[in-house]
Amino acid sequence: MKQNIRLVAIGTAAMATLSFALPVLAFAAEEGEETMGIGLLIPKPGEFIPMLIGFIVLWIVLAKLAWPAFMGMIDKRAAKIKEALETAENARIESERVLEEHRAELSRAKKEAADIIATARQTAESVKAEITASAQTEAEILIAKARTAIEAEKKSALAELQGSVADMTVSVTRKVIGTDLSDAEHRSIISRYIAEAGSFNEN
Amino acid sequence: MKTSAVNIRAKAEVYARVLLEAAQASDRVFVLTGELAELLATVRGSLELRSALSEATFPEQAKKAIIAEIFSDYAPELLATFEVMVERGDLATLPRVCEFYYALAEEALGAIILDVSTVVPLDEELRQQIITKYSSQLGRGVLLREYIDPDLIGGIVLASHGKRIDASVSSQLENARQVLSLSQ
Repeated sequence: MKQNIRLVAIGTAAMATLSFALPVLAFAAEEGEETMGIGLLIPKPGEFIPMLIGFIVLWIVLAKLAWPAFMGMIDKRAAKIKEALETAENARIESERVLEEHRAELSRAKKEAADIIATARQTAESVKAEITASAQTEAEILIAKARTAIEAEKKSALAELQGSVADMTVSVTRKVIGTDLSDAEHRSIISRYIAEAGSFNEN
Repeated sequence: MKTSAVNIRAKAEVYARVLLEAAQASDRVFVLTGELAELLATVRGSLELRSALSEATFPEQAKKAIIAEIFSDYAPELLATFEVMVERGDLATLPRVCEFYYALAEEALGAIILDVSTVVPLDEELRQQIITKYSSQLGRGVLLREYIDPDLIGGIVLASHGKRIDASVSSQLENARQVLSLSQ
């Protein structure tokens, strides 16, 4: 960088030296050109040659000293930029690839999650249906058993009640007949029963 | 087994004929039918009595003392026959003795013995009603053996030769109770 600055300074100094060395020619040319129309466009040999020599000298100096360094600097900078661009492009491609992979991974994860949720939901529905059916079956069995037990208890209670009523009726009748009938009434009953009784031959 | 049954039958017939001859001698043929039935019922109803009278190692004098104590009111010829049965170990023949004696007694008396159970004693009118009805039915004379049974409540129960006519109030009430209990 410092070398480049130095070359630019040298070139600038050469140009200044040539300008100060040919001031008269320059002025003379200016005075002659003001007087002629087309002559204004045609360079004067007295001015042109020194300027050409100065230009060539300057061109040579710049070509030898400043231009290679300048071009090297440009090339380096271009290479750096190119490298940076390639790195950025690679990074972009890599990031896109990673992003794509992440997207694919995310999509797969979402799909798996959806599958898991669907499976879990299906399993839950199945278990729910199974539990419901089992509970319903058990409830029906319990209800049937309860109905049977109630019916049996009802019949048992009715039978017991009938038995109690029958026992009580017979007991009361037995007491009434046993205590209230006189001997004559007993004999009257015996007489009637003898008349109504069957034969030994029938048994 | 068959021999044993035949022996029991033969022994029972011998005991029954001996008892009948003794009863005819004392003119108590009909009375002994009732006492024999009561004696059989007493022996059947007491396991201890049967065991004591059947036990071979039990002294004979003790057995006779038991018989005299329990059956003291019975006719002497019946007690004598029963003592012989016990002494010889033939207590098991007693039911068959009763059967044979009833048959022989009925044959000797020319009538059928009819057991009559009532709550109150029969009067002469009822006796005649029963005799008339069953004499004509059975074709033979009928002798009534009367029992008082308060459990009958009322009515009458007739029994002869293992057959029974139950016209008692208690059986009718029992039938009514069963009908009431079973009716829906």
